[in-house]
Amino acid sequence: MYELVVQLAKFIIIGIIYYFLYNFLKIMVVDLLIDKQNPSETGYCLLDEDGREYPLFPVNTVGRASDSDIVIEDPFLSSKHALITRRGRSMLIQDLNSTNGTFVNGKRIKKPYRLRENDEVVLGDRKFKFLRRENIGIKNGSHL
Amino acid sequence: MELKMEAIYNKTLSATALIGFIAFTLLSMKTSPFSPEPLYGAITFSAIMLMGYFLTNYLLSGQDPALFILSSFITQLGLIMLYRINPAAFSKQINWYAIGVLTFILSSAVVRYCIKIRINPYFFLAVTVMLLAMPLLFGVEKGGSRSWIQLANYSFQPSEPAKVTFVLYLAGKLKHGKVENLLRLSAEILVVVGLLTLAKDLGGAMLFYLAAVALVFAATSRIDITAAGLAAAGIAAVSGYYFFAHVRIRVEAWLNPWQDVPGRGYQIVQSLFAIAQGGFFGTGLGMGHPEYIPAVTTDFIFSGFSEEFGFLGAAALTVVYFLLVYRGIKISLSAKESFSALAALGITTMFGLQIFTIIGGVIKLIPLTGVTLPFMSYGGSSMIMSFISLGILNGIRQSERGEEADG
Repeated sequence: MYELVVQLAKFIIIGIIYYFLYNFLKIMVVDLLIDKQNPSETGYCLLDEDGREYPLFPVNTVGRASDSDIVIEDPFLSSKHALITRRGRSMLIQDLNSTNGTFVNGKRIKKPYRLRENDEVVLGDRKFKFLRRENIGIKNGSHL
Repeated sequence: MELKMEAIYNKTLSATALIGFIAFTLLSMKTSPFSPEPLYGAITFSAIMLMGYFLTNYLLSGQDPALFILSSFITQLGLIMLYRINPAAFSKQINWYAIGVLTFILSSAVVRYCIKIRINPYFFLAVTVMLLAMPLLFGVEKGGSRSWIQLANYSFQPSEPAKVTFVLYLAGKLKHGKVENLLRLSAEILVVVGLLTLAKDLGGAMLFYLAAVALVFAATSRIDITAAGLAAAGIAAVSGYYFFAHVRIRVEAWLNPWQDVPGRGYQIVQSLFAIAQGGFFGTGLGMGHPEYIPAVTTDFIFSGFSEEFGFLGAAALTVVYFLLVYRGIKISLSAKESFSALAALGITTMFGLQIFTIIGGVIKLIPLTGVTLPFMSYGGSSMIMSFISLGILNGIRQSERGEEADG
């Protein structure tokens, strides 16, 4: 009698154990959905000379216009000056026909340019450094 | 979304309680005449689990409920096996579970508010060395390694709390993302590993060393240091094989346990027989013979579990451990401060390596070393320290969530 019940129960127990795992699979899927809903920062940022840090999102417009993602109050900048977008794992910078141009490492760019770490970006007369965010914390010796 | 998550968590809790009731009813039926005693065990466990779940949700805002549910699920499977093997061990272990839940809540709360306090890493190193030196000075020998301290009727293993303090020391030391003085760091790690080797706790020495290498790699992303560290571990393992008799015995028992079945290979052979006996679906609860396996309540509980719950049950258990490690790494990735991220990663690595070492050992994937299977093995210090480790992870997650809420 006991043997029969045990043989039956072992399948039920294994079934419930896998039901438990199935629920955790659902939790993982929900987690991924939540991550997708709030697009996170790309991990890159622009650092200006005063040490101010502009985190970069998958799409950023730079300019004087107040609806830009990165607003820079500078008379030498156009209202829509440049566009920085994510392509794969790297970031591309593109000039939006600005009056004074966009310079990377001293050269005026005409085509979209793939940014590398520590590149110097000049917009108007403002200098920025393109960095990975985590490296900044290390340089300052503070938190990431 | 939050409500949906909560519904799923409630389902997993009910599934856990249901498994407990079915299993303990079976154990009640096994004793003839029918005794309701195991059922009381199931009720006690479910009560502690539900109370713990509501308390953690109520007291700890922004916590990760999965940590508590997954660990309770594993604990329950361990308790079922313990009752089946030795009911006296069960009643002690369920007390340890209750204390573990309390320490989980306490350590979460403490870590949440104290993670910001900067403590000199050398304080943690001093505590680690003190903890590891204690059993060498006035410890007792158990199962071949001198890593236990006897206090009245209780014995405990100081290397369990040392795991946490060692990880905190490394996280504090490496939080700037670079190794300032490689020679000094390696000397300090070697002192800790050396103390464990002196106590003949080779499994522990391996865990501490590999966790240190993993943390150095995660913090600095320097492949050269990591490769040198792993090469040094390989050289140490080979020279350990030639110089230490007890290492040689373990390795030989691993390579070919069948040459000395009644002697050196006895443990591993019995473990393999038990796992083979289980097959895909297991023999069924109470139908196997876990009493043939030596140390089945502590190191070999995984073999006993595979015998009665089968390959499918054992695979599911491994996946549950994997899920715990996954949650830990997720917490570590979401942490913004490097100290918290490294501490979370170190604790997760220590935990994952420990599971790999003991499960790999009993299925003869790697040489067997005596470490406990967290949450499942019989033993108070292992249970409580596993809960404290999870509590620290939970506290780190809470402090991250708290910052987000503040803006």
